[in-house]
Amino acid sequence: MASLEAIHTEANAGQGHGSFRTVLRQLRKNRLGTLGVVLVLFIAVSAIFAPLIITHDPTRIMVGPRLADPSLNFLLGTDQLGRDTFSRVIMGGRIPLLVAFVSLGSSLAVGLVLGLLAGFGPRWLDNLLLLIFDTIRSFPGIIFALAVIALLGPSLTSVILVIAITSMPIYARVVRTQTEALRSSEYIAAERSMGAGTNRILAVHVLPNVIGPLLILVSMDVPAVIAVEAGLSFLGMGVRPPTPDWGAILNDGYSYIHESVWLVIAGGIPITLATLGFTFLGEALRDIFDPKLRKDL
Amino acid sequence: MNDVVGSVSRRAFLKTGATLGGGIMAAGMPLSQAIWAAEGKVLTARANQDVDKLDPAFYLGAVNSEVMSCIYSKLIRYKPGSEWSWELEAAEKIEQVDPTHIRFQLKKGIKFSNDYGELTVRDVKFSFERVIRLDSPSNFDWGPLDHVEVEDDYTGVIVFKTPFAPAWTLALPYGAGHIVSEDAVMKAAKDGGPFGMTPTAFSGPYVFADWKPNQHVLLTRNPEWSGPKPGFDEIRILPIGDIKTAERAYQAGDIDFTHISVDSLANFKSNSPADTTIEEKPSIGIVYVGMNIDHPKLKDINVRKAIQWAINVPQILDAAYAGQMEVATGSLARGLIGYRDKALVPPEGDLAKAKESLEKAGVSDFTVTVDCLNQSEFLTIAQVLQAQLSQIGVTAEINAQDSGSFYTIGMESEGDRWKDMQLIVQSFSNVPEPYYFSATYTRDQIGKWNWERFSSERFDELNAKAITIDDPNERAKLYREMQDLMEDSGAYRYLTNGASPFMYRTTRMQPATRPDGVPHYVAFKPV
Repeated sequence: MASLEAIHTEANAGQGHGSFRTVLRQLRKNRLGTLGVVLVLFIAVSAIFAPLIITHDPTRIMVGPRLADPSLNFLLGTDQLGRDTFSRVIMGGRIPLLVAFVSLGSSLAVGLVLGLLAGFGPRWLDNLLLLIFDTIRSFPGIIFALAVIALLGPSLTSVILVIAITSMPIYARVVRTQTEALRSSEYIAAERSMGAGTNRILAVHVLPNVIGPLLILVSMDVPAVIAVEAGLSFLGMGVRPPTPDWGAILNDGYSYIHESVWLVIAGGIPITLATLGFTFLGEALRDIFDPKLRKDL
Repeated sequence: MNDVVGSVSRRAFLKTGATLGGGIMAAGMPLSQAIWAAEGKVLTARANQDVDKLDPAFYLGAVNSEVMSCIYSKLIRYKPGSEWSWELEAAEKIEQVDPTHIRFQLKKGIKFSNDYGELTVRDVKFSFERVIRLDSPSNFDWGPLDHVEVEDDYTGVIVFKTPFAPAWTLALPYGAGHIVSEDAVMKAAKDGGPFGMTPTAFSGPYVFADWKPNQHVLLTRNPEWSGPKPGFDEIRILPIGDIKTAERAYQAGDIDFTHISVDSLANFKSNSPADTTIEEKPSIGIVYVGMNIDHPKLKDINVRKAIQWAINVPQILDAAYAGQMEVATGSLARGLIGYRDKALVPPEGDLAKAKESLEKAGVSDFTVTVDCLNQSEFLTIAQVLQAQLSQIGVTAEINAQDSGSFYTIGMESEGDRWKDMQLIVQSFSNVPEPYYFSATYTRDQIGKWNWERFSSERFDELNAKAITIDDPNERAKLYREMQDLMEDSGAYRYLTNGASPFMYRTTRMQPATRPDGVPHYVAFKPV
């Protein structure tokens, strides 16, 4: 039987990968990671402080001429309704970030709980949950999204719901696999023999070991969610007008590209920067927290 | 077979693919055209929506009628050009014998495809009587039709119960005037009922060769057609709902004929694509904001009046059409019988009166929904409307919908969505016959075409009377009063009758359109 010291060393193995300062140091060494942090911070700050940054009311029509070119008054020009594009782009950044954090946060929470239940619970529950996960995953994502939006109508809630439902099984499966592996490990058996209850084992020993890879997975999903949200808004199935949103701005730009190219540029660049920023950051975090995974990929 | 597959290495496959792709690119041919490539003269045009019913008794909308006019014959048709008139098609002769009788004589030798024999008066009788016999949403096209008398194979008399002036401007030359084969329809559908998108016999210059929903309609020459040979071997019609998308498709070379948006017109004129001609025609359609009178939020006429007065039409037209459109005075466009000089509510509206009406209704700060098509033109209108309504404390939520969903909102036969409909940005195409518009707002059309559920006994009386009168001036008075009644109900705010600019590739075709720019594909000539 392994010594208690060895067991505790093993139990703590996945709980921390270094201090915050270590992470920052490693991020600084990774150029793309640094760029990712800068881009993400830039977008997050501009979204949080958007009301202080905008120069005009983003929903007010005819504050300027239609489809005007950029000028000192209208930094990115105006759209077909004479609205200030700069203000719409800045305010528009709040929607994808909100969608990403709420939808991924909720799917992460639900996926975590269900994954732990599947991995640590009785066999019949595991089978039932796996069936549910696989059923959800078997729907083609975009068809599922269109069906839900057709049913509930286009809105921010519908978009969040679609993304949360389709992301959840992935996280749940990852948690379930990790939990199942940990369940039969020696240190869990030792904890049990010392009288620890299931709740304590899950909270103190299993959860810290599965949360790390899960957070990396979530951070890698953020750019995909931003792209999906923008895509649904581009198709007119996202937020309702006149709420500013990058996908909707891009759609307006596409419609009026013959008259002005600025709307397409204004709508396209933030989507590109946001997805690149989160991708670089996610990859850097993956490299820091799980170099083995990088080698495997 | 295995030898052949085995002898093609991966490198050879890639080389061949690259050569083929390069060849296509070098030829300057858009990929879509390369995929389509076929022998002969091909006309590729855009339609603003997909076809969904090629049954003359059940057709809905202009696009179905445009396709039906290629595959079926009518006694007469609208004459292409700049003046509204008609010309003979399947009829050799046709005349109004008296106010309730029209005698016609068919051309000999018009054959139905698939061995369904020659087109005779028996088929005409079957086709026209079928429209009124079946419970069709289009049966008002034939108004008081009683029956068709058969004198011989080629001569017949159309008999109306009461005089029917729209026979010459709507029933005969438009959708419900197409002639189908009695034998074919009786064989295809039980009791000669609706056959939807599966026509089995054609009597026009083209046959309906292929249809991929939301992708294309393919018409090819009818080998049994004995009339004048049409210009093109094939007609491909691509449904592209959003007009801005259609403009991009034209620029990419995917289509050779399309309508363009009015706000793009100036740009296309100053910077038109190569080998392109742009023509402008006046539209006779109507774009308006409608309100569901039966919805609890809009039941009070003062609420509807408040919304009417809050809408500033020129502002909407500035935003949606770059100010290039004329303000509509009613459902009937300039030049049509019944055109009004001005609307009851001035185009600019009046916010003070709007607020006063809301006070009378005793409501404030409420929310309404605005349904519109998910297309740039209508979304722009809805957003300006939203901003205008906010000025009187009304919050508008926009529900942008695809055409399939949008065009059934107000129909009771399609479920209960009509109960939730509140405001709607609506657009209708028209024909040069005021009855075509008025017949859709009668009480018996509530829940069919009358989505605002406008209900007026006086309106119905005028509608019935107007079709019996020949004198255009007398008819005009009645139609003006009908529009007054509609507007006075508070359920309508007319925006514009529109315009109909289109562009086409001069290296491919010489188009033929009705005076309102609606294409008449059969008369298109290749270049």
